[in-house]
Amino acid sequence: MGKTALVSGPGEACAVRVSRFHKRYRKTTAVREVSLTIASGEVYGLIGPDGAGKSSLMKAIAGVLSYEGGRVEVLGTTVDSEAAAERIKARIGFMPQGLGLNLYPELSIEENIDFFAQLRQVPPEQLAARKERLLAMTRLAPFRSRRMKLLSGGMKQKLGLVCTLIHEPDLVILDEPTTGVDPVSRRDFWSILAELLRERGITALVSTAYLDEAARFHHLSLMYGGEAITDGTPDTILESVPGSMVRVKAEPQVEALARLHAHFSQVEAVGDTLRVFVEGETPEAAQAAVREQLAGLKLERLEAVDPELEDAFIALLYRRGLVASESDRPTLAPDPGPAAENSENIAIQARGLTRDFGNFRAVDHVDFCVRQGEIFGLLGANGAGKTTAIKMLTGILEPTAGEGRVAGADMRHASQTIKQRIGYMSQAFSLYRDLTVLENIRLYASIYAVPGPRRAERIQWVVDMAGLSGVENRLAADLPMGIRQRLALGCALVHRPRVLFLDEPTSGVDPIGRRRFWDILVQLARTRGVAILVTTHYMSEADHCDHLALMYAGRVIADASPAALKQALIDEAGKLLELTVDRPLDALKALEQGGFADAALFGRRIHLLAPNPDTARQRIEQLLEAQGLRLQRLREREPSLEDVFVYRILQQERGREQEQQRA
Amino acid sequence: MNLHRTMAVAWKEMREILRDRLFLIMAFVVPSMILLVLGYGLSLDVENIPFSAVDYDRSALSRDYLHRYIDSRYFDFQGEARDTRELDRLLADSRIRFAIVIPEHFERDLKAGRPVTVQSLIDGVFPYRAQVSKGYVAAINAHFSAERVRDYLILKAGLSPSEAARLVQPIRLETRYLYNQALRSRWSLSAGLIMLVLMVSPPFLTALGVVRERENGSIYNIYASTVTRGEFLLGKLLPYVLISAINILIVWWLAVFLFGAPFKGSLAFFFIASLVYVICTAGIGLLVSLIVRTQAAAALLTMVITFIPAMLYSGLLVPIESMGPETQFEAHLFPALYHLRIVWGSFLKGLGWSVLWGDVLALALYAVVLWTIGYLSFHKRPRQ
Repeated sequence: MGKTALVSGPGEACAVRVSRFHKRYRKTTAVREVSLTIASGEVYGLIGPDGAGKSSLMKAIAGVLSYEGGRVEVLGTTVDSEAAAERIKARIGFMPQGLGLNLYPELSIEENIDFFAQLRQVPPEQLAARKERLLAMTRLAPFRSRRMKLLSGGMKQKLGLVCTLIHEPDLVILDEPTTGVDPVSRRDFWSILAELLRERGITALVSTAYLDEAARFHHLSLMYGGEAITDGTPDTILESVPGSMVRVKAEPQVEALARLHAHFSQVEAVGDTLRVFVEGETPEAAQAAVREQLAGLKLERLEAVDPELEDAFIALLYRRGLVASESDRPTLAPDPGPAAENSENIAIQARGLTRDFGNFRAVDHVDFCVRQGEIFGLLGANGAGKTTAIKMLTGILEPTAGEGRVAGADMRHASQTIKQRIGYMSQAFSLYRDLTVLENIRLYASIYAVPGPRRAERIQWVVDMAGLSGVENRLAADLPMGIRQRLALGCALVHRPRVLFLDEPTSGVDPIGRRRFWDILVQLARTRGVAILVTTHYMSEADHCDHLALMYAGRVIADASPAALKQALIDEAGKLLELTVDRPLDALKALEQGGFADAALFGRRIHLLAPNPDTARQRIEQLLEAQGLRLQRLREREPSLEDVFVYRILQQERGREQEQQRA
Repeated sequence: MNLHRTMAVAWKEMREILRDRLFLIMAFVVPSMILLVLGYGLSLDVENIPFSAVDYDRSALSRDYLHRYIDSRYFDFQGEARDTRELDRLLADSRIRFAIVIPEHFERDLKAGRPVTVQSLIDGVFPYRAQVSKGYVAAINAHFSAERVRDYLILKAGLSPSEAARLVQPIRLETRYLYNQALRSRWSLSAGLIMLVLMVSPPFLTALGVVRERENGSIYNIYASTVTRGEFLLGKLLPYVLISAINILIVWWLAVFLFGAPFKGSLAFFFIASLVYVICTAGIGLLVSLIVRTQAAAALLTMVITFIPAMLYSGLLVPIESMGPETQFEAHLFPALYHLRIVWGSFLKGLGWSVLWGDVLALALYAVVLWTIGYLSFHKRPRQ
């Protein structure tokens, strides 16, 4: 950070100082009593679900939104009027939320950059040099004359970054820059940002809804419902919630889940494994406590692992009493219908499914198969073809080629039958916001022609299942996001479908809301035998699925259980090593040049894949020593699904490049 | 005011407009479409009114009387009906708009000097047309009656035809129609519609352009940068004023060469005055864009506050002087009125600066007021 002092003026050891910030929109309070301090040269993260108040805070700091209370000081200037805000704007870069939405779709990459540069009055000679460098870094140079509207999500995101940085601001404010982008582009984005920030000594304030990105930040604030729940480094936040995470495989799972829920506040089923957070206990004591609760059940692989930031976040929310504890957790009432389906029955089968839009092939020969009682995850970035595939299977969209069977009916000829037998919850909200909870459920019961005598019973079942008692008569629009999501799920289930399609059901929902939602899905699959096909772009959620298909550019590029996908990665590319080094960026360069091509930066740590950890360790130490760097810590980690996804996509891209070279 | 930044905004905007096909169509095709559709469709001339008749007399005189209507260019004879019941049916079906019923003994009674009543049935659904029709019928009837009196005087009093004519009609009315000699409403209308087109199109484009930027979030590039609000607004609106300036010439050309409206004034005066008007109406779009949040709402609101008042309060359909005092006051609050005077003055009367300077000044004042309000209410650090 020695360089930072040169860039920032005197008295600017901290770039941003916010105290007791308060923002209201008419009568709704968006942010209350938030204070934070951002040191010069650091990457500061705001993490929280939609509606946490991140955007309002960032806009106020960027001087593009007025506020009602508190004090915001940016780069030594108190931002309390339009005139004061104008004074800092030359030194600030701001990228608003929404992928590429602040760019101009009809202009080319270069024209976009030029426009931003002209707005910022970058002298032409400087512009030329900077533009070349940024275009080269972001690998956008070959596409410089392509119109922005024709770019992929990842390219739009990188162009946005270039445009925000073209005037070399001292402070960049990036609002959810990685939402909806594929994991490879996300990694790319973080490494480019890290490099630029270090070179120029720029301070960055970045928000994200993904808790697994927390490791990217030097400091961060966890936000929820307009408040900052806690702040600190990722490590100090974890330390502030002492406890142990116990993982266990237990049979029968539903019984185990019920028993654990009764005693622990944080329990979730991830595939066949249960995760239990035992607050304040050592790993040994925590394991013993879990074992005691599960006495009499068949246990397998009981182990204690380090809790993750998401666990700490949830524990903090409970501690602050911001969300009700697990006691109101919805449970599946006995469903007076036919018992669980035979799990051998195939619920969804896609064969060679293809869909073209003009010259563009959105879905390209997709095959997969989902059994009754299985949770099947379809993963992919925006535009990978997930939604199109679902629309074809649900009979909404005619396929160009291929076939599919859903709930025993042929997709091509019996789309009406399919619609009766499935539940569909779309990305765009399928609820009527001006109707109450009960009215919404009744409406769906009528649409699906649930027979009159059974209707009341089904409606009650939905209310119980989704945990909606107490809010039956409130308008859907007034409900918090998490509850609304459960209501939408309940509406999709009112006619007791055997197959359920969920298109990004948890997008923007807070972590507790997401966990509750998944709780219900697991119970539906396990006890009712419902086949569930779900899409998500939260990689951390994908672990909940029994089976995963990764989609990339319209194709399924990997298809197995999460555990098998991770094992395949280890078998092919080696184990995942996490390095703690004192100068991570220099270390990263040394490692990349030394042959670890897939080394990636996570905040102050580096991840890389090594087939043989022991020889790799020696090689790493050699490489680092040559640069005068010290390896502080090296440990093996279980690869995440994001690691898997990144590896598979890079494999695809390399294959494609080779094909092009041969051609 | 930094000219480079202003031009950067203007260039960016222009390029976006030129590459967005839909927007380009809206910018250049829609104004001409409005002129064409309303110019051809909104004829206020009442001609070729379909009518029918029942002639219960069937005499030479009744036939002569009926032919006065059949031969008129205002009426379109649909054939004789058998009886009044059939007439009712034709009227109800809107196959005819009025009917004449000539009673029995029409000729006998007239020749005997007894008064005769001819019935005319007029469809009153559209009062304006009904009144004009009634006027035509009354004129034709009066002319026929006068002829009867003249013939009687010639026959009974032995006067010469010219003396008889003088006695029947002692005062002759000589009418000369000024400015629109052929009294073709299409001339006045197509010129007048220029006012309407330039009232609707510039604010429509301006409002969409500004709201589009806010709707998708690129307005934050402006908020977060050092561009001043004046530079932004000027650069943003310049392309729309330019497009509208081109549209002034396009619609003028259409009115003159397609609709054949006479243009007697100075094109330079007309263009400059219309440019002031366009800057003024673009200011209305700016205000709309500051109120609404979505492009759909912007389009709707612009249509409502420009189209309807411009049709009703400008004097295009109803002369200002025929309005009530309150309505007249409202009409003067709206810039359309002044531009319509400029349009009709330039086209039909050949007027220029010396007469119409007041109207141009009124428009310029409007422009200053609207843009000042727009400038003052645009903030780079809004409340939401």
